[in-house]
Amino acid sequence: MSRVWSPLQRAWRQRALVLALARRELLARYRGGVLGFLWSLLNPLLLLLVYATVFRLVFTPRSDVRPYALFLFAGVLCWGFVSSALLDAAETFRANGPLLRKTTVTPEVFPAVATGARFAHLVLALPVLAGAIAIAAVTGRVRPDAAALQFPLVLVLLAAMVLGLALVVSSLSVHFGDVRDLLANLLTLTFFLTPILYPIEAAPGRLRLLFWLNPFAPFFVAVHESAFFFRPVPASAWVGMIVWTILALAAGAIVFERLRDSIAEEA
Amino acid sequence: MILPLPAIDVRSVTKLYRRWGRKRSIGTFKSALLSGRPGRALAPDEAIPAVTDVSFAIAPGETVGVVGPNGSGKSTLLKLLAGILRPTAGSVAVRGRLAALLELGAGFHPEISGRENIEINGLLLGLSRKEIARRFDEIVRFAELEEFLDAPVKTYSSGMAVRLGFSIAAHCDPDVLLVDEVLAVGDEAFSRRSLEKFAEFERAGKTLLLVSHDLGLIAERCHRAIWLDRGRVAADGPAGETVTLYRERVAEREAERRAQPGTAAPAERALRVGSGAATVEAVRLLDSEGRPSARLLSGAPARLVMEVEAPERITDFVFGFAISTVAGATVFGSNTTIDGFEAAELSAAGTVILDIPSLDLAPGVYSVDAAIHARDGSPYDYRRDVLRFEVSAERAAAGVWSPPHRRWSFSEGIRWKS
Repeated sequence: MSRVWSPLQRAWRQRALVLALARRELLARYRGGVLGFLWSLLNPLLLLLVYATVFRLVFTPRSDVRPYALFLFAGVLCWGFVSSALLDAAETFRANGPLLRKTTVTPEVFPAVATGARFAHLVLALPVLAGAIAIAAVTGRVRPDAAALQFPLVLVLLAAMVLGLALVVSSLSVHFGDVRDLLANLLTLTFFLTPILYPIEAAPGRLRLLFWLNPFAPFFVAVHESAFFFRPVPASAWVGMIVWTILALAAGAIVFERLRDSIAEEA
Repeated sequence: MILPLPAIDVRSVTKLYRRWGRKRSIGTFKSALLSGRPGRALAPDEAIPAVTDVSFAIAPGETVGVVGPNGSGKSTLLKLLAGILRPTAGSVAVRGRLAALLELGAGFHPEISGRENIEINGLLLGLSRKEIARRFDEIVRFAELEEFLDAPVKTYSSGMAVRLGFSIAAHCDPDVLLVDEVLAVGDEAFSRRSLEKFAEFERAGKTLLLVSHDLGLIAERCHRAIWLDRGRVAADGPAGETVTLYRERVAEREAERRAQPGTAAPAERALRVGSGAATVEAVRLLDSEGRPSARLLSGAPARLVMEVEAPERITDFVFGFAISTVAGATVFGSNTTIDGFEAAELSAAGTVILDIPSLDLAPGVYSVDAAIHARDGSPYDYRRDVLRFEVSAERAAAGVWSPPHRRWSFSEGIRWKS
């Protein structure tokens, strides 16, 4: 039974390398830019500014999700992590072909790096989210409380599920040239099927059951509950998150192990 | 006596490379899903053996070379030993810390500094962060990159990058080091330094496996060499012997490619001119034991035999032999006139024998011409490239001539390692 998890075990043993490569990824990305590391803060800040402007001036959001810019911000940041990590994972073996072919590095490292680097990205943007919440709190539009402490745990579970999916996506992309394109379309579709732009309450009651088939749904329900409504995350969402995380990690480990041998040959 | 466990133990290893045919190199996931059997799309159409049933064991402290032509499976073997590839059948065991130098600086990222690259490369080679920190200064000193440590690697010259890559690998202190042709890069000074480092490894009792096309290097540096041919072990023994066998086979293949050695060249290739007043019926090359042979050892005796026939009695005739390289340069030529015989009479058939007490030719493939002609040079029967043979030698030599008793002398002040 424990052999199912061996890709995860191998990635864990190489965690020092995963961290170093993820750090390299971030350093290399920002060192080229003029604004350097500040860029990682500026990007979500601009996003927030756009949402705040557009949804104040153009649309009138539902009354239960005001300030809507703040509601959107937490979800869109997290979704940004999901989609960029998976798209990176779909390319990681091609991008790291020389390392795979010429060094003894274990291939599990690369989807882990893709996930880790994008997660670090998300974590670096959290001060901007915290600042936005603080401003909204000062003006009395939200009342943050201890429920916000659930948010980091939600993020950790989300990262674990994304790692599982990254293992699936990365190993499949070695064999199939169109995985990234399919994934990009699938992500766009999922973005709208997941309660990111809207609270789950906005979905018609009879469709709500379907949301539990969407692995991302409980995560974004939990993101909104913990980082916007500041309410306890419902038990059903916790169960959903944990079940989907375990399933994704298991699927990732199994698919990866099945295709692992050919990665260094095909990448 | 207890034998030490081998540092490298390879048992009946076979590696098949899977090839996905069907008009595509990369399939689409969409079509795999639509076919209804996504698992099927992952099954290869054919499998190409890169390494077949290879077994050997290398004791700790041995320095072993691997030779063989391109495509013989050398790099696949190294990757199997390094664990980059998994064998399709058989088992590979490596005892101790392994480092593989398949490409210097394979893990460098151009945008980040030398300092950060040292850390990542060290981790890739299996060092812990602590070990890297401990060896850091020495790595930098050996690579001579103190001033450039904080510059991004993209600003390094290729020589600098190669030095850094080698320095990291050399200082990761492996028990087993696999090296693939990396000495081919870098300038002479770097090659010398890396060879010194290898010698240091050897003295420290480390196991070294070296893949190289530089046969001289293998013969000189290794105790033992394994010759891989089409994925199989063709020879495994003392480096000098294996290299000689391999060289012979290369020459043989070369000869096969050009013509069948030891027999008359195909008619359209043989050049035969002459009036026919006398004819060369057959030409043979005999070895020291008098057996017809197409393969001779350099320095051994050889005998050239020509069967001649004259339909009518003639009184003006010269017999001659010439030996040339397959490229066409004559390396020897003589005839009965040059060697002081004066013709009197040739009638019916006869046999002409030229004995060469010591065939001092360098290893290679040679071609024989045989002729009967008149004193003025007009040919009765001149047969070019009538025979081919191959010379092998225990010691390699460049060129065509290999003097049997060469001796070097040196003045004082020049010393050699025993």
